[in-house]
Amino acid sequence: MLDTFEILTTSGVVLWSRTYAHVSPSVVNNFIADVFIEEKSAVVGAKDGASAAANPLYKYDQHTLRWTFEKELGIIFVAVYRSLLHLSWIDKLVDNIRAIFVSLYGDQLKKPNTTIVECLKFDEYFDQQLHELEQTGGKLDRSEVRAFEDEADSEILGKEPPAPAGLIQRSQPQDDTLDSSPVATPSASRPSTPAVNHLVVAKAGPVAKMSRRARKGQNTNSGLVSSGDEGSARKSKAKAAKRGRKWDADGFADEDDDVQLDYSAPNAVTSDSEAEAAGRPGAVEEVDASTWGSNTKGKFVLRDLGDEVHSILASAGAKNGIEKPGSPAGLVGSGLSAISGLFRNVVGGKVLTKEDLDKAMKGMEEHLLKKNVAREAAVRLCDGVEKELIGVKTGNFESIDTRIRKAMEASLTKMLTPTSSLDLLRDIDSITAPPVTSLRKARPYVMSIVGVNGVGKSTNLSKICFFLLQNKYKVLIAAGDTFRSGAVEQLAVHVRNLKELTAREGGKVELYQKGYGKDAATVAKDAVAFAAQEGFDVVLIDTAGRRHNDQRLMSSLEKFAKFAQPDKILMVGEALVGTDSVAQARNFNAAFGSGRSLDGFIISKCDTVGDMVGTLVSIVHATNVPVLFVGVGQHYSDLRNFSVKWGVEKLLSSN
Amino acid sequence: MAALDTLKAFFEASLKPSPTVFVIGFAFVLLFPILLHFLVTQKSAYTTLPSVLLVGPSGAGKTALLTLFERGPLAPAPSEKPTSTAPASPTPTHTSQAPAAVELAVSSDGTSSFRDDLDATGTTAKRFLLIDTPGHAKLRRLALSHLSPAKPSTSPTSSYSATPKSKLKGLVFVLDAAALADGDGLPATAAYLYDVLLALQKRASGAKGSKPPPAIPVLIAANKLDLFTALPAALVKSNLEAELGRIRKTRSRGLLDSGVGADDDVAGAGEGDDWLGEYGSDKFSFKQMLEFDIEVEVIGGSVVGDGPGADRWWKWIGQRI
Ligand SMILES: Nc1nc2c(ncn2[C@@H]2O[C@H](COP(=O)(O)OP(=O)(O)OP(=O)(O)O)[C@@H](O)[C@H]2O)c(=O)[nH]1
Ligand SMILES: [Mg+2]
Repeated sequence: MLDTFEILTTSGVVLWSRTYAHVSPSVVNNFIADVFIEEKSAVVGAKDGASAAANPLYKYDQHTLRWTFEKELGIIFVAVYRSLLHLSWIDKLVDNIRAIFVSLYGDQLKKPNTTIVECLKFDEYFDQQLHELEQTGGKLDRSEVRAFEDEADSEILGKEPPAPAGLIQRSQPQDDTLDSSPVATPSASRPSTPAVNHLVVAKAGPVAKMSRRARKGQNTNSGLVSSGDEGSARKSKAKAAKRGRKWDADGFADEDDDVQLDYSAPNAVTSDSEAEAAGRPGAVEEVDASTWGSNTKGKFVLRDLGDEVHSILASAGAKNGIEKPGSPAGLVGSGLSAISGLFRNVVGGKVLTKEDLDKAMKGMEEHLLKKNVAREAAVRLCDGVEKELIGVKTGNFESIDTRIRKAMEASLTKMLTPTSSLDLLRDIDSITAPPVTSLRKARPYVMSIVGVNGVGKSTNLSKICFFLLQNKYKVLIAAGDTFRSGAVEQLAVHVRNLKELTAREGGKVELYQKGYGKDAATVAKDAVAFAAQEGFDVVLIDTAGRRHNDQRLMSSLEKFAKFAQPDKILMVGEALVGTDSVAQARNFNAAFGSGRSLDGFIISKCDTVGDMVGTLVSIVHATNVPVLFVGVGQHYSDLRNFSVKWGVEKLLSSN
Repeated sequence: MAALDTLKAFFEASLKPSPTVFVIGFAFVLLFPILLHFLVTQKSAYTTLPSVLLVGPSGAGKTALLTLFERGPLAPAPSEKPTSTAPASPTPTHTSQAPAAVELAVSSDGTSSFRDDLDATGTTAKRFLLIDTPGHAKLRRLALSHLSPAKPSTSPTSSYSATPKSKLKGLVFVLDAAALADGDGLPATAAYLYDVLLALQKRASGAKGSKPPPAIPVLIAANKLDLFTALPAALVKSNLEAELGRIRKTRSRGLLDSGVGADDDVAGAGEGDDWLGEYGSDKFSFKQMLEFDIEVEVIGGSVVGDGPGADRWWKWIGQRI
């Protein structure tokens, strides 16, 4: 069974929700952060309002989330259930709920400057859908559902045995305003208003698959269904539902007639065809006419909600079908719209369509490729921007190109901005001199540098060392490259230079080396122990360069991370490298085992590529790991904090 | 007859290819669409309302506060809720990805409570916009763009929450006082606050030649004081001051940003530019911000639970509108 279903806006307000079992809010929060903000499961096209089945599942902490997104209104529909379950009908539920909700409350959602949406009545629609789909889908995975329901049952009711129906009936007063008993229907997060006279109580088919709880509810009700006198077939309209359903048909019933609704009898018969019909819009009328229309006349049958839901779903389905061809309104009409389109293109206020964007997006993609952005990343960015812009109106005197540029700037900024900013010195201080209130012991801060051959690992390590020395830290450099001949000597030269350069600054730097052939992980571990003993503040560990597709060398990184326990693992990437950057970044990011990944990138040789800094984008796209530093020259002082603004400007500058 | 003649003459003149006719015709052709455009778009234009901005790290309670002010405290949630143990749950919220603006009103003397229905009592009300922003680090740009001296760029990502341009009357920095108590909470919160204050400071000092923009007062709302792990407001203030001072020090010693080359005149342009508060001072205190006309106040409160409530924040806002 479902744990919870929520309808929330992009601004974070939950408009409607239904909870069956408590789910920590962090589940949905993480889902939003990962899928929408950080775009971690970056499946291209995930956010364009495709049906729930097309969106990737999101799993977190034993929960699975099925979701869909209505872009125009900015609302997310999400169903949360236990990962153990397999609920085949859940995408359908999410999609249908979305169609119904949008058609009922779309107008309210467009109102500016408010977050309030009056949707108390939505409970009924939800119940209707849930039961309808559960009944069709439930047959497929009955056993699992049942197992879970029983469990849920006992959770809520304790071990209370199912009471015989008669007993319950007696215990409940024969009052027609029988409220849905607290136990029978799990409540929504909103209070039910008294205005809802006709509370829908859990309905069940003859198939005895309902939980005890629901069965009980049903039994209770069946005794009461009698006083109704609802007659003729009502044509359902969305409007009517919004006002609250009034039983005005033929003047039989009035608002005060507190009839208990019951779905069980008619629905049980037709629920299968009904649910199918929802999928095939064309079939709805048919079912309507034959099964629903005349033969129920005069009986107490309340099917207007089901009717309404189906007509909504049918019209939503039909709209999807028709929307494609467009509407050419004759020669004059099309000519006129073409002219106004051109005109709008100049003064703005044009509503962008896919055709408008396609050509301009091609241009943007070319531009990014020219900047050395890997194709994969460029395509993702352009698709994202295109999806975002379809249906958007351009501003005053804004051409399509400027609009695209603006959107691309926003996307790039969002992509390149790290999730948590790094203040390296602050970070080091908090490790080497932890606040007295925390129970941590002071220890040296460990940083290690990885990367493929020849990208400038040792150089950048020395640059960081230089910076630390200027800030009066005591630094130990560990020669973890025990593989390539000359590597240790090269570091020794750096250390000698650094010593000379910073002699008067007050810092201190030493080299820790054990020659060649030793296991790098062990050397690193010893270096950290040595540093702790000798009172160094920071340990910088150099590592051997390795091809990212060299299985043997890459696998040794996992052991390295386990032995040295670095606080930060930085990877050096070259600005010059082209399409290979994506694979490099990915492989390195995955090399440290499941619990560990890269913490940041240093992009070296940025001075040699001018504006072609696309590598930045490629690697962040591949790993979601931020770029922290960029190397901009040959001197020890040529290391810079990466500024997102600078990067985005370079990427978008023309020429 | 005479009238008919003049009419005829006029038509003749207007059909002759004379320069005046060309100019007038041309001007008409050019201006008509533009006028039309403005006519069409005018009706969607907003009257500018004063506004108050909500900023702060993710999960601090900005959206919760926004919905509280908009709806008032909800009647205790349906108690038949079988799974929840919370006595009174407010509108549930989740991580925001887009800003949201809400139109609120306060009586003209600024004393009404957010629970009052001003329409019903018939007092003259001042209306204003409360703007909620996402606190996720990747989306802070949306908040900070309101503070840059340049015109705030309306969020390009979402047409749904159109932020009308408005006069900013105050800024509320909401923080989770319970999160400050442990490890990473303080540095992360303070880092954001540092960026916000620095942006305000630059805004105030940047426009030196021209008329300085109206000052924006800052309220630091220490939220979630209903939790027993939360730090009291006074402690929040002193901890933040200490942490801001630390950040200020390490930032001044940190690496240069890319794009700032060594060849740029660093000494001339940079000195003191990114230093928050009184330059060169040893300890940071919020009082130093007064130098830039930025008044900072720390007030504790809570959105949910039976803590101190949010009335003092509302009062603060009411007085600035
Ligand atoms: N105990 C307690 N919880 C609170 C209080 N205020 C807010 N919360 C809870 O804090 C959580 C986060 O609140 P939000 O308003 O969504 O946070 P936000 O600041 O909008 O976060 P972002 O949108 O991610 O920037 C919610 O679950 C609130 O219920 C409070 O005063 N006390
Ligand atoms: Mg929020």
